[in-house]
Amino acid sequence: MSRLKRILAGLVSLFLAGCVWLSSLHFFFAKSADEFHQAQGLSSQARQLAARHLQLWTEPKLREQELKKMRASNAEWDFMGRTFLVWSLANMGLREPASKASYLQTMDQIIEETLRLEKENGLYFFLMEYAHARPWIVQPEHSLFLDGEIAMMLGARRSLEEKAEYKTLLTERANAIAERFHKSPNLILESYPDECWTFDHVVALDALRIADFLDGTDHSVLIQRWLAMAKERLIDHKTGLLISNFTTSFEALNGPEGSSLWMVAHALQLLDENFARDQYQRARKELGRITLGFGYACEWPASWKGEADIDSGPIIPVFNISAGSSGMAFIGASAFGDDKFLASLATTLEFAAFPSRTAGRLKYCASNQVGDAALLYAATLGPLWQKVKAGTKL
Amino acid sequence: MRAGFHRKLSGLWRAEFLSLKDFVRRAALISLVFLIAHLAGLRDFTSILNGTTGSVELGWRMSAFLGLTYIFLYLAFVLLVPILLLSAAMLSVWKRLLRQKAAGPQADNSAIAPPRTIAMVDP
Repeated sequence: MSRLKRILAGLVSLFLAGCVWLSSLHFFFAKSADEFHQAQGLSSQARQLAARHLQLWTEPKLREQELKKMRASNAEWDFMGRTFLVWSLANMGLREPASKASYLQTMDQIIEETLRLEKENGLYFFLMEYAHARPWIVQPEHSLFLDGEIAMMLGARRSLEEKAEYKTLLTERANAIAERFHKSPNLILESYPDECWTFDHVVALDALRIADFLDGTDHSVLIQRWLAMAKERLIDHKTGLLISNFTTSFEALNGPEGSSLWMVAHALQLLDENFARDQYQRARKELGRITLGFGYACEWPASWKGEADIDSGPIIPVFNISAGSSGMAFIGASAFGDDKFLASLATTLEFAAFPSRTAGRLKYCASNQVGDAALLYAATLGPLWQKVKAGTKL
Repeated sequence: MRAGFHRKLSGLWRAEFLSLKDFVRRAALISLVFLIAHLAGLRDFTSILNGTTGSVELGWRMSAFLGLTYIFLYLAFVLLVPILLLSAAMLSVWKRLLRQKAAGPQADNSAIAPPRTIAMVDP
C-alpha cells in the first residue's frame, strides 16, 4: 500500500472510530436516576456517600485533613459541608427510622461543634477573607448565611426528633432573623458587608417555615411579603430567573448563577411550589445541558456575561461546564423529579468526577467534602420537605 | 545477546505512522502512563476541578500540576485509547478484505480448473 493511501486509511479509520466511540461512551458510565435518588429508602449511591461522611465524623484526623484542604480555598465550604450533611442526615433518618439514632448522634456532634466554633471565633470564622474588606451596612453585624443555615440545621434535627435544648436555640435564631427582616425596609439582609444572597434568604425563610411547623409560630406574612418583593425586584428580566447576589440597594452583583440557583429553586418548594417549579424549569432551559448522553450545567445563562469564581469553580470553555453548577444541579433535578436530567448528570459524575470506592464508602476525587455533602443531600432530599408541608409532627 | 534483545524490542516497537501497529503501540503507551499515574495516587489531586487543593503540604501549584496531569491522562485513556484500538480493528478488517479481494480471482480459478493430475490422465 502506498504511503499516502495508508495515511488516508488511518485518518478515515480514526474519524470513524471517533464517531462510534464518542456517541457510545455514555453507555459505559450510564446510571439510572433510581441509582442516585429513590422515592423510598436509600439509593446505593446515597448509602456509600453517607458512609464516607460518617467516617469523617468518627475519624478526627481524616476530617481535619479534609477541612484543611477546603479552608485553604474557602472557609464557607467548611460550614456548608456541615449544613448539607445535617440536612442529609435528617432526610436519611426519615427514610430509615432504624438508623435514626446513629444519624442523630452525628447531627448533634456537627451542630454542637459548629455552634462552638461560631461562639469562640465569631462570624468571620466561616466567612471568606473579603468579609473584612468593608463595613456592614446594618449594625450590629450579622450574616444571614450563617444564621439561616444554622437555624435550618436546628430545625432539620428537631424535625427528625425533638431536642429541648435545640428548641430554645432555634427560637432565638428564628426570632433574631425575623426581627432583622422586619427592621429592613427592603426585606433584605446581608450575608457579607453590603452583599446579599438570594440563596441565603430562601434558606433562612425555610428555617422560619420549619420553626412554624415545629413550634406553632407564624411567619407566613413575612414569607409572602418577601416572595412578592423577590418576584418584583430580584428577577433577571431576560431569563425570568432570580439573580444570585445584590447590594442592600438592589444593585445586582451577579446575575442568575447556577451554583446557587438550583438550590434556590429547591428551597422555594417549601415557600411557594409554583414559583419554585417555574424557577427550576427556567434554570433547566437556560443552564442545563445534555450532550452525547452526558448532563451538565453552566454557571451563567447565555444572556449574562459572568466569570468563573469560587462558587462556579473553573469553567470548561466551549461547553461552559461549571463544576459548581453541575454539582448543585443534582439538587434541582432530584427535587423536581427530572429523571432524564438526573440520570445524565449521574452519568457525567461517573465519567468525570473520578469516583473512588473503598470498603463501601464513596467519595468523588474531583469534588471535596462540601461537594460530596451536597450530592448526598441531592440523593436523600424529599422526606423533610414532605413532612413540613404535610404538617405532621412526630 | 543484549544488543540482539534491544534490536528485537525496537523492531517490535517500530511502526509506520498511522498504521495498525502504530495505533496499538500508542494505545499501549497511553495505558501504561495512565496506569502509573493512577497507581501513584494522582486521582486525589483532581479536586482542582472545584478549586480545592489536592494537598496543603504540596501547595496549590504542584497540586494543580499533578491534578491536570491525571485529568489529561485519564481523558487520553478513556477517549483516545478506545478510538485508537477501534481504528486498529477497522484497519485490520479493511486489510483482510483487501487481501481477500486481491486473492479472489486466483482462488476462483483454482476452484474451477480441474486438478492437473486428473487432466493429464488419458482415459
